[in-house]
Amino acid sequence: MDLLGNLAHGFAVALTFDNLLFALIGAFIGTAIGVLPGIGPVATISLLLPITFGQPATTAIIMLAGIYYGAQYGGSTTAILLNLPGEISSVVTTLEGYKMARNGRAGAALATSAIGSFFAGTVATVLVAASGPMLTSVALSFGPADYFSLMLLGLIISAVLAQGSVLKSVAMVVLGVALGLVGTDVQTGQQRFTFGIPELSDGIGFVAVAMGMFGIAEIILNLERPEARSVLKTKVGSLFLTREEFRRAVPSVLRGTVVGSILGILPGGGAALAAFGSYMMERKVSRGRAQFGNGAIEGVAGPEAANNAAAQTSFIPLLTLGIPANAVMALMVGALIIQGIQPGPRMVEAQPDLFWGLICSMWIGNVMLLVINLPMIGMWVKQLQVPYKYLYPSILVFCCIGVYSLNNNVFDVYMTVIFAIFGYVCSKLKMEPAPLLIGFVLGPMMEEHLRRAMLLSRGDPMVFLQRPISGTMLAIAAIALLAMMLPNLRKGKEAAMSG
Amino acid sequence: MKVNAKDVAAGVLLILIAAIGLYLNQDHSLGSARRMGPGYMPMMVFWLQLGLGAFVLVAGLFNGPDPLEKWTGLDSVSMALGIAAGLIAWKAAPLLGGFFASTYNAVGVGMMVGFLVICFSAGWRLIGYVCASMCIFGLLLEKGGLMLALVGTIFVAAAAEPEHRARPLGVLGMTVFLLALCWWIFIKQLDIRVSVWPQF
Repeated sequence: MDLLGNLAHGFAVALTFDNLLFALIGAFIGTAIGVLPGIGPVATISLLLPITFGQPATTAIIMLAGIYYGAQYGGSTTAILLNLPGEISSVVTTLEGYKMARNGRAGAALATSAIGSFFAGTVATVLVAASGPMLTSVALSFGPADYFSLMLLGLIISAVLAQGSVLKSVAMVVLGVALGLVGTDVQTGQQRFTFGIPELSDGIGFVAVAMGMFGIAEIILNLERPEARSVLKTKVGSLFLTREEFRRAVPSVLRGTVVGSILGILPGGGAALAAFGSYMMERKVSRGRAQFGNGAIEGVAGPEAANNAAAQTSFIPLLTLGIPANAVMALMVGALIIQGIQPGPRMVEAQPDLFWGLICSMWIGNVMLLVINLPMIGMWVKQLQVPYKYLYPSILVFCCIGVYSLNNNVFDVYMTVIFAIFGYVCSKLKMEPAPLLIGFVLGPMMEEHLRRAMLLSRGDPMVFLQRPISGTMLAIAAIALLAMMLPNLRKGKEAAMSG
Repeated sequence: MKVNAKDVAAGVLLILIAAIGLYLNQDHSLGSARRMGPGYMPMMVFWLQLGLGAFVLVAGLFNGPDPLEKWTGLDSVSMALGIAAGLIAWKAAPLLGGFFASTYNAVGVGMMVGFLVICFSAGWRLIGYVCASMCIFGLLLEKGGLMLALVGTIFVAAAAEPEHRARPLGVLGMTVFLLALCWWIFIKQLDIRVSVWPQF
């Protein structure tokens, strides 16, 4: 009954005018950037981070969360209608979705994707609500050594699952941790790697790193590619599914929800991986697998349910353990810390408004998205006619004002420029920026736990292996790393990543 | 031997950063494993990074071929000139006194000059103009006010796109629209603490 009481409290929080409004704004922005290729949730959230400082923490997180799951809805629209994935997570939707549109079933594909997403979102929300307090009570028994190992596990899995070479991703994680070292040492107060610059004594600005590497570097890369946008030629048609289509979509949605929920919780997982995983599964097990390649509805229903489920469940490690599962969650950690909230297992108790309010607003947001997306589909497609040449100066301007208003200091603007160049170089060398961001966020916390654990164990590093929780985590991390050395598994991952 | 130039370059970059980090870390006391000093964690992290960088480099010698994008002669020359001009402008700016004497304004001038110089070659034009547009924002904002800074940013950023250079009228329209939008969002709604018009 406690869960119901908490949920009632959460709805009371989520249904206040401000929180409803910002959930709607978040869902709206999320759909918009989801539809647009070339600008994703990571860039948008880092762009809007500075704006959220003036808001209460709950409202800010509700809006940012809305952007993330809203983008999953929006991304599928262009994937189905134009064969143009708005987000990476909707790449697989183009495979069957666009075929369905060519067969005149665009409306049915859109409806399947929206309703499947809604169903998956609802289930995932319940999962977050149910598992949150449970995991939290487990996490409260964690010692510093367990925390350290858990974070290490998170970092390694996020590197293993990242796109491209595992070795380089691990190196990027370490580089991120190294960048996180800049600033004042918490225990002795000594300045480290600050070059005497007072602005660096609090560490390198999180927003500068995220905005530079994801926002600005992305703009330069997008401009390098010639713009390829097709005009909508297909008719949307009836949004209603035939009985046959409905019968085939339901099991796929269910499977997609399960796959997505599990892959979302994994560190380094998230929406894109979930969609790929579900597509692979549908192609193997669904009854309509013979029709894959010719517009099978299972290929839309499964991945679309999975990516939305994953977008929601990836909040679980963040809200219960304070560990970000992917780059978007790393941004959420940044948002919370700037608001003065330390993410971790005590958050559920200390910030019940935030925890339960966010969960309930996720469900409300999903309802809103259903309304925003289905009847207003024409409006979103029209938005694609805004060419990128008008879009990028706007993004730049917002970045500049946003990053300046953090501390009212131009230093942050120049710092962003430096990280933009660094991000550009990284992408030219095929070094993934996402693991770096996660390492950057977790680095300082890891150092603190490491030092505390070693103090408690009197300098004996065996403590990490002797404690059962910590030992298990390290064993899993080692297995994950070793598994990627096997050529077969690596090929499987490459195949999944390239669709 | 099929060299993966991207991986080799990535390895070199990682090793270089780690080496600089280890060099700087000499200033910090290491402490003991039990009571770690400020230098302990950086030491471990940078050695790990050095090792990984070496792995990436060595593996890169064999798992190619994946060549880097070719630089033309003009690319290399303008990059060298840009870095030189940027450094000179950075060091020379404080001599002008007043506005340019402050540390970050001098840095901003240096960066902007450097970015504009590399725009001479087509290969650097995008990154040059985009980064320069952010620098001009930093330079103009506090003295020139938000509106002037935005105009500067938009004009310089627009230079990155050939279509804008051919049709400046579209840029004007976009500027007016963005000025109004930013004023409404940041001044009217969010009320950030920044001057809107030039300060004298």
